Amino acid sequence: MAVFQAALVNELEKLYKKKKALAAFLLSLAVIVIGQIIIVGVRSGFGLRTAGSMEFPMLVLSVVVNTILPLFTALVTIDSFSGEFAHNNMRITLTRPVSRLKIFAAKIAAISLFILATLLLLLIFSIIAGFVFNTNSATLDSLVRTVFSYIVSLFPMVVLALGIVLLTNLLKSGISVFFVSILIFLGLKVLGVFFSQYSSILMTTQLDWYNLFLMKSFPLAKIIRQFLIMLGSSVMLFTAGFYLFDKKEL
Amino acid sequence: MKLTKKTTMVLSFTLGAMLLATTALADIAAKSGYDQLKDALKVTAAQCSNNLSSFTMDISYNVKDNGKTLSSMNQTEKCDRTKSAREETTSEQTISGNNYSNQTYFDKTTYIRLSNDDPTYYVTEYTQERKDMAFSDPFKNNNADDVEKIADAIVGNLKDNVVVTENPDGSKVLSGSLSEVQIPSLINALASFEMKQRFNGQDGQQDNVPHLSKDVFVKTIDGTAKVNKDGVMESILGSAVVSGKDEQGTVHDITIEVLAKLTDVNSTVVTKPDLSGKKVVKNVVKNENSVPEISNPQEFMGKFKNDILIMKDGKFVKVGERIIEITQIDQTSATGRYYEVYKPGFDQYATTKRDFSFNATKSKDKNSPEYKFRTDAGINKAFFLDEHSGKIYLNESTTFSEGGIILDSTFSPDFE
Amino acid sequence: MEPIIEIKNLTKQYENGRGIKNINLEISEGDIFGFLGPNGAGKTTAMKLMTGLIRPDYGDVKIFGHSITEDYERAMAKVGCLIEIAEAYSYLSAFDNLKQLARFYPDVDYQRIDEVLELTGMSKYKHEKPKKFSLGMKQRLGLAAAILSRPKVVILDEPLNGLDVEGMIDIRKLIQKLADEEKTTFFISSHLIHDVELTCNRIGVIYNGEILNVESTKTILRNYATLENYFVSEVERNGRLSSSVG
Repeated sequence: MAVFQAALVNELEKLYKKKKALAAFLLSLAVIVIGQIIIVGVRSGFGLRTAGSMEFPMLVLSVVVNTILPLFTALVTIDSFSGEFAHNNMRITLTRPVSRLKIFAAKIAAISLFILATLLLLLIFSIIAGFVFNTNSATLDSLVRTVFSYIVSLFPMVVLALGIVLLTNLLKSGISVFFVSILIFLGLKVLGVFFSQYSSILMTTQLDWYNLFLMKSFPLAKIIRQFLIMLGSSVMLFTAGFYLFDKKEL
Repeated sequence: MKLTKKTTMVLSFTLGAMLLATTALADIAAKSGYDQLKDALKVTAAQCSNNLSSFTMDISYNVKDNGKTLSSMNQTEKCDRTKSAREETTSEQTISGNNYSNQTYFDKTTYIRLSNDDPTYYVTEYTQERKDMAFSDPFKNNNADDVEKIADAIVGNLKDNVVVTENPDGSKVLSGSLSEVQIPSLINALASFEMKQRFNGQDGQQDNVPHLSKDVFVKTIDGTAKVNKDGVMESILGSAVVSGKDEQGTVHDITIEVLAKLTDVNSTVVTKPDLSGKKVVKNVVKNENSVPEISNPQEFMGKFKNDILIMKDGKFVKVGERIIEITQIDQTSATGRYYEVYKPGFDQYATTKRDFSFNATKSKDKNSPEYKFRTDAGINKAFFLDEHSGKIYLNESTTFSEGGIILDSTFSPDFE
Repeated sequence: MEPIIEIKNLTKQYENGRGIKNINLEISEGDIFGFLGPNGAGKTTAMKLMTGLIRPDYGDVKIFGHSITEDYERAMAKVGCLIEIAEAYSYLSAFDNLKQLARFYPDVDYQRIDEVLELTGMSKYKHEKPKKFSLGMKQRLGLAAAILSRPKVVILDEPLNGLDVEGMIDIRKLIQKLADEEKTTFFISSHLIHDVELTCNRIGVIYNGEILNVESTKTILRNYATLENYFVSEVERNGRLSSSVG
């Protein structure tokens, strides 16, 4: 476990030092600022409420889970795998007394922590922005639901990251991984529209699963099913990704 | 026991796959409340159009501002499939405060209309039997599938907001409720904008109608549907609350409620209105598409005219007549003359006086009553025959009036 | 005495026909083993197999009795290595690069990092990023990384690559010092015959993916004037053998 921790700390340090994470955080803040400007504009221009203090974080979440969050996840994942393969940096850790499984898991843990950090950052700042600029509509219930929605959004994003990890181990260049990821993402989105009855197994639809936590009638059975679907796909993607990673010759 | 790496990997992959497959199947099999709602709608539409011999459908809506009714509508539709007849009674109170009501009756050969502002029964009789007028299934429409897909996509994750409560007798209650947080922001914004436009204090709206100007948003959307044990929807109630502030800062909650009920299944009686002793205007046509078709252009042989008017001292004054004289006409062509005659003393208006003969050909479209021609001056013109009202419409490319003459392109038969 | 590194039937064939065939080797404590062979003979392949970067087709490598393929963490616990070109994260300073590695060893602290930077003459570049390093500096940093954990076994692939004369002397001294003071066992590959002669006390010749002979430097120099003569004669003997077989 100590070795895994070391590997995880290493991955986090690399993320932090590479400034990519910082850029992602800044962009997230930019999204909040731009969103708030648009909302204030629409409100004074059209007289619509657009978003109350509690709806603003949800509006931000609904936008980011389908746009910048998958994008950051893809970039960080590709960098952590394809990038290190390309620069032969993978060898640095791989010749240390640490198994490939631990390195693989540490990388994914680091990516997950990065996603979680971004989500929390978005949550905190959008709540603050919501309270400062928008009509107060907060209740304890809506606050709890908002926080929950942000946190549960981590799961589908991790599934997405695992999918991209698999791709980084299949394809050589990081750029091709990036474009293939985008194509698959868009493809799944389209499939989700045409086969909406099967959409619960598509990663792209899972990104919106936080909506289940907003419902007045808490659809527990549906949440459990959706969670198990994500768990199943995670296990499969993790295993497949690791199989390739373990076989990789450097 | 120590598992080799390979076995562990195969095992975990298989476990993941099994977990995914079983829950995915369970998830697809577990019909969401939304799917059940769709099924109920389809079953109901199919039953109404194919199986139920008669039924009554009540549809009503009302819009309230802080509990005070602004506008409402009630419509009762009685359908009898065995007689292929339908009767509709509608009463409406519009947002501007006017009341309307009307009553219509359809069957294969008749259409009768009566409205509250006119005691006359307008009756249209069809010489050809029309197709089934009772009720057609909207899900049988060609575009229904596409519309359904689009609806599914829009509803998206809100699908699971429909909660199903099953009663012991097999009937079900489907209900759903969305508060502001759950309504997608874009939909909320568009709906709010639409509502704000409706209540903008313009378009001659009365003072009792609130003028929303600030902080407009959709507060809640609720819906309840009752489905009987046969899967037929007996009632569906939807309501939405839009909140906003007027210029004075007063909060207005605008409530919109829509209710549809299906009652008197197989026991509805549709009765043809008794026309005896009533004021009746009758009209006979071949079928509902027959209006533009000219059955007999020969009817239009002869002189048609209208008055040339000017505005003088705030009054209309007749200065002459425009005359179309058709000397030959059939289904393919028409010949004749257009000319203007001015009354003595108004010769100064005759400067633009026109007089030309024409040789027109009928439009290729069989149902179009249009005859096109070209004047000697090379201008394309056309006239239309209106069999229904016995008039000719002249379509001129010039629409401006010269010398204060008022243009009129409608020509009536001249019986003088 | 138990061998520290035990290579058994190690085989790895690439599609282009290159690779190594049936390599058997035993390295004992205190050996400075020189792995001598021309370019493309299979030195790097063998060393990558030894450090788990690639997987063998057959055979296994055991370090301190732990199999590289089955118990990687324990096998590598006391191993330091530098394979091919020394790699470092270009966006981390020299110190931070070593700090990353130090986390895997509980008893390596910042003081030890400074120590190895001193040993390899990299102290003054401690806070610079390898982006701007010359090949020689990168190689020194790679060596620092290899010896960071006070390993009992150090596996070095062409350690003198890119070094100037001064650097070569420094590194050779360092190897000697570690072998003397800390009883470190070395496994060094090189195509530079002279360098191997000066540094190593046991020599294995690899040619066309096969080990031709393993002998102590002393014995070789007793029988041949130079190591070069030994190498040439070994290769020729093998060539005759294989041609007579063929």
